[in-house]
Amino acid sequence: MNSNIWLLTFADAISIATTLILASLGAIITERSGVINLGVEGMLLMGAVTGFLVADASGNLWLALFVAVLVGVVLGSVHAALTVGLRANQIVSGLAMVIFGTGLSQYIGKPIEGNPRPVVINPLDLGWLTDLPFVGPVVFGHDIFTYATWLLAAGTSFYLHRTRPGLVLRATGDAPATVDAQGGSVARIRWGHTVVGGAMMSFAGAWYMFARAAAWSQAATTNGIGWIALALVVFASWRPLRAIGGAVLFGFSLQVPFTLQAEQIDLLPPTIVAMFPYVVTLVVLVLLSTPRARRLLGAPKMLGQPFVRDER
Amino acid sequence: MIIFGRNVRLEQRMTTPSYLLAVVPLASVLFALLVGAVFLAATGHPPIRTYLDLLDNGYTSFYGITDTLGLATPLVCTGLAAAFAFRMNLYSIGQEGQLYLGMIGGTWAGIVLADSLPGFIAVPAVLIVGAIAGALWVLVPALLRARLGTSEIVSTLLLNYVALNLVNYFIFGSTGFFRDPTTSFPQGRSVSENARLSPLSFFTEKVTNTYPTFFIAVALAIFLFWFMRASNYGYETSVYADSPNTARYAGMSSTWLQTSVLLVSGALAGVGGATYVVGPAGKVDPGLLQIGLGYAGIVVAALARYNFLAVVLAAVLFAGLRTGGNALQASSDPVPIAIAVVLQGAVLLFALGGELFRRNRIVISRVERAVAS
Repeated sequence: MNSNIWLLTFADAISIATTLILASLGAIITERSGVINLGVEGMLLMGAVTGFLVADASGNLWLALFVAVLVGVVLGSVHAALTVGLRANQIVSGLAMVIFGTGLSQYIGKPIEGNPRPVVINPLDLGWLTDLPFVGPVVFGHDIFTYATWLLAAGTSFYLHRTRPGLVLRATGDAPATVDAQGGSVARIRWGHTVVGGAMMSFAGAWYMFARAAAWSQAATTNGIGWIALALVVFASWRPLRAIGGAVLFGFSLQVPFTLQAEQIDLLPPTIVAMFPYVVTLVVLVLLSTPRARRLLGAPKMLGQPFVRDER
Repeated sequence: MIIFGRNVRLEQRMTTPSYLLAVVPLASVLFALLVGAVFLAATGHPPIRTYLDLLDNGYTSFYGITDTLGLATPLVCTGLAAAFAFRMNLYSIGQEGQLYLGMIGGTWAGIVLADSLPGFIAVPAVLIVGAIAGALWVLVPALLRARLGTSEIVSTLLLNYVALNLVNYFIFGSTGFFRDPTTSFPQGRSVSENARLSPLSFFTEKVTNTYPTFFIAVALAIFLFWFMRASNYGYETSVYADSPNTARYAGMSSTWLQTSVLLVSGALAGVGGATYVVGPAGKVDPGLLQIGLGYAGIVVAALARYNFLAVVLAAVLFAGLRTGGNALQASSDPVPIAIAVVLQGAVLLFALGGELFRRNRIVISRVERAVAS
């Protein structure tokens, strides 16, 4: 066993974390407004497949990413229309988004099943920084979107905790009646953040397609990453910066099975090793549920509750 | 809200008119078909002909409807499982994994126990062991939910991926108990013939894909419908669903209610996996992993509005989409089977939107203008 492969695993974990951070940032701002969106997996898949199709037709990465974001806006709007506008059950609506997104991505992705990605997001070459031992590949060996994602997490954190709209957003998730009494529009805030959240999730899928997945495969492109991102929201206790650390941990658990396979380390059969990321996520969730840990978390108090003014 | 100069607002209904109970689901299906038509047309498949083919291959032809009833059997079970948990506001989405475990447990019973038992005991034994396996698979999330309040949504979902890899391990990853020892081709070991039922022929000479287990699933639905209305337990769960605080004041144990509901839900999904063993498969069959009957069960339950009898109808409707879709995929102008999943998702989205019209009515009135004095 050489140490280099574990170094690469760590670098890959940080790279995969980009998708997890983006998707969970989208989920965090959605949930902070009091709307729970379980449709992450469907949105990742739709972002990945539409990004692929557009890039296949145009060869333009930026156009592909733009269309993926638009698709996220549309899907986020559907979820918002159902849950905020029509006050539907948020959990069932999210599951419907997963089923619809999975089905539609398989349907429109049928002609490109198994095709390699048409464009590739390559890591930046940061000159001597990338050549540094250890730190080089781990910290300076990523593409521009990975760094942008870290900045986005910092920016989201600033927005949530240091700006007035962020304060109103947090209040909308915790006490919508207060926001309403102050003259704010609960519906508009929830719509807006659900739509932006959807766009981030869909973008996360497109990035994963071009940067990490070698080919489009209806069954294996996202492989449950969306659900892991949702667990990450709990892990990060709805705080954007904490999502980065958690994403690297979960990214590591996603990458380890590949490394073991590449190194031909067969302590366990590959099908058993493939369970690893899900079991790790589950164990982390359980640890977070102990009464002691729960006090440190801070779920939005009215998460999942539709706001109806007349009923009060 | 003011639309076109009229004041439009929603008013809560005290009672729901009975015609809406039928109109809302039917309209959801209709709108979903319209959405599907857009995607069919966009990909160059004539929508109306495609739907007529779907109707014929899924429902109206003899083999179509019998295939559909066969596929509906496990789907009724997963639908009941989802409905049972969801009506208690427990959003378990682990039916997919519990279904696999039901298949594994049922196969184990079919291989080990069935040889020494006559058929009329062996078949129930397979179903019961399948139910136990399904319940055990949800035991950890259930206890976590009841004791620590861990969200059952993510925990049950994560276990689906573990169950999926477990089936792959038994068939592709190892040469253990569940693998057919007589061939190097990776396939499951068949259960004893005692533990199998033969397909129904519906008074013809033909061999269909419908098994008597369909009627067991329907009987389960009827039993649950009756039991949850007539029993103390059913009453307690519905009180708890409406108001956990009221239930606690009345001395009901939330730990017991949450755990038991999730376990029964797991058992129901497990029975679904076991019907697959008793019926068409007869072994641990990775083919079940491709169909997504667990996730579809959630859609079925939501469309049926968690009513156990309506679950049967919704399951037959959805199974027909799938069998019809299979036939389309195999036709000369192949339409990807995923269209069936698109339609399922769209039906659920519209059914959710339709809830609003069931609970509220839309009142349109003139905008009152303040008169300047």
